[in-house]
Amino acid sequence: MSLWAAQVWLGMAIAVIGFGMHRTGPAFRRHPFGAPVALLGLAVMLFRVEEPPQPESEVVAAAIDAAMWLLPALIGSALVLMGAPLYWRTRLLPLLAGWALIVVAWCQYYSTMSVVLSDTLRWVTALLGVVLAFTVFALCVRTAERMTPQEPETEGLSEKERKYVESVLRRHLEVADEP
Amino acid sequence: MNPNLESVISAFAGSAALTSLFIILALIGTLNPYHRPAIPMLGASTIILASTYLFAKTVGIPADSVALRMTMSEGVLALLDILPIVFLMSTFMFLKASLRKRPEDPLLALLESEPGPK
Repeated sequence: MSLWAAQVWLGMAIAVIGFGMHRTGPAFRRHPFGAPVALLGLAVMLFRVEEPPQPESEVVAAAIDAAMWLLPALIGSALVLMGAPLYWRTRLLPLLAGWALIVVAWCQYYSTMSVVLSDTLRWVTALLGVVLAFTVFALCVRTAERMTPQEPETEGLSEKERKYVESVLRRHLEVADEP
Repeated sequence: MNPNLESVISAFAGSAALTSLFIILALIGTLNPYHRPAIPMLGASTIILASTYLFAKTVGIPADSVALRMTMSEGVLALLDILPIVFLMSTFMFLKASLRKRPEDPLLALLESEPGPK
């Protein structure tokens, strides 16, 4: 495998690892390195000095073509989620900007991609492949969990631990000092 | 082999292999002391190898590293093909989310009535 072919796969691997890292941690404080690692991976994958060989060049070309509609789609989706009344009041500006980008993404998709009806079978089998991979993964996780020895019942919190948990809850719930 | 059938099998093998690769990479990215990733990684690796073998047999090439790269490339192309379907479903969900009315929640109302964090 040539250096440029390896660079494409390495970049993709780093991007997926970065995305995985970003999903760890509580929603209000994601892993600090997740997003930078994912962006680094994308940069390694897409920016190169020489044209990678086949089949990687086809992958990079397809990814760049798809980015034309995927980028507005992703940014638009994020804005819509920020603006929609999911957890908070409707925020009109991000909501409208998000929908505008989603419309742009669909227009861009139909102007650059040619959808042929005969591709439907290919889509269905690709979905089946994804489903197979996730099914095997789920079965493996179930097997691993069943093989894990059961741990004894946890003892109650000590006085020190109880105070610590209480202080964490107090901090996050922003409760003022007791009167 | 019929080119249409070859394309369909390639899409199946490629998407299964690439999804399994993503699973392995996600397991690496989320490693923690409570993880038991050995069996899931073994399962995902088996899917990758089996898919590569299936792809190589379908296309008529030896099942080596070139076949592995070609399978993964087919996977990227197949997943890019089905992304618009995912986006279509997401668009409908976003539409539903944008038009919904936030349910009245006494706790949220209490938060709204108080000044925000400093």
